[in-house]
Amino acid sequence: MASLITCPHCGVRPKEEFSIRGAAGPVRPSPSARQEVWHAYAYVRDNPKGRYQEYWHHAGGCRRWLVVDRDNVTHAVFAVIDATEWHKTAGSRI
Amino acid sequence: MALNLVHRHVLDDHISGFETGKNPNHLSVARRPVIFSVLALQGRDGDVGAALSSVAGFSVRCSGPGEWLIVSDTIGPEAAAGALAAIDGATFADQSDGKVLMALYGPSARKILAKCVAVDLHRDVFAKGYSASMLCCQVASNVMRTMDDQFEIILPRSYAGFVFETMMEMGREYALTAGFASP
Repeated sequence: MASLITCPHCGVRPKEEFSIRGAAGPVRPSPSARQEVWHAYAYVRDNPKGRYQEYWHHAGGCRRWLVVDRDNVTHAVFAVIDATEWHKTAGSRI
Repeated sequence: MALNLVHRHVLDDHISGFETGKNPNHLSVARRPVIFSVLALQGRDGDVGAALSSVAGFSVRCSGPGEWLIVSDTIGPEAAAGALAAIDGATFADQSDGKVLMALYGPSARKILAKCVAVDLHRDVFAKGYSASMLCCQVASNVMRTMDDQFEIILPRSYAGFVFETMMEMGREYALTAGFASP
């Protein structure tokens, strides 16, 4: 696992300061969505190999939610952004 | 029945009775620190940050975007709360009882602290006046460099004993001593 994460607020920090909170890709359904949609969102997740985006919570530092774009095979980290920035650009990714 | 509440510092049992004099490397624990946490309302980070740094007697520590810890040696808790209430767009809470403030200083302060945190403490990166939240002895703390060879650490009271013991262990090879700061 990538051992150093460059937090956009705190700078270079060890991974022990963070807790990983799951894939950032799936979009949360609307509250009125059907049961099947919610079931798929909550339980049916991919287990990707390679590059993907994950929520990381900087619990030991600025306590902000971040999105880490990393490769879980090579351990390369491509980008770390604040989760609010990630959601602002959500429309352009879909 | 009259109830007398005696103020005891959480580190009283860890410190009293053992130390004699101060060595050059010393860990000084503040007995009654004044510590407030401040949060800025959404979009008001810049205003609140500027207003905080303009208050005389406040030492401002950055603990995240739009979030600060205020420490004061000269202003009492009531006056500090009054000054914070006057800042538009800020919300605050008195953390004085829940936090422990300690200062680590001496020629080997950086070497001792480097064994407790996983952050680069070189003066070019972690310069005088710079502060940040980080894990110190595995406990979420706020560390500020107040002088070239002095650091101040703010940590939760419940973990203070553990961090104190660990830091003393890390400082043993540098003859680190500890005591309460004289008021």
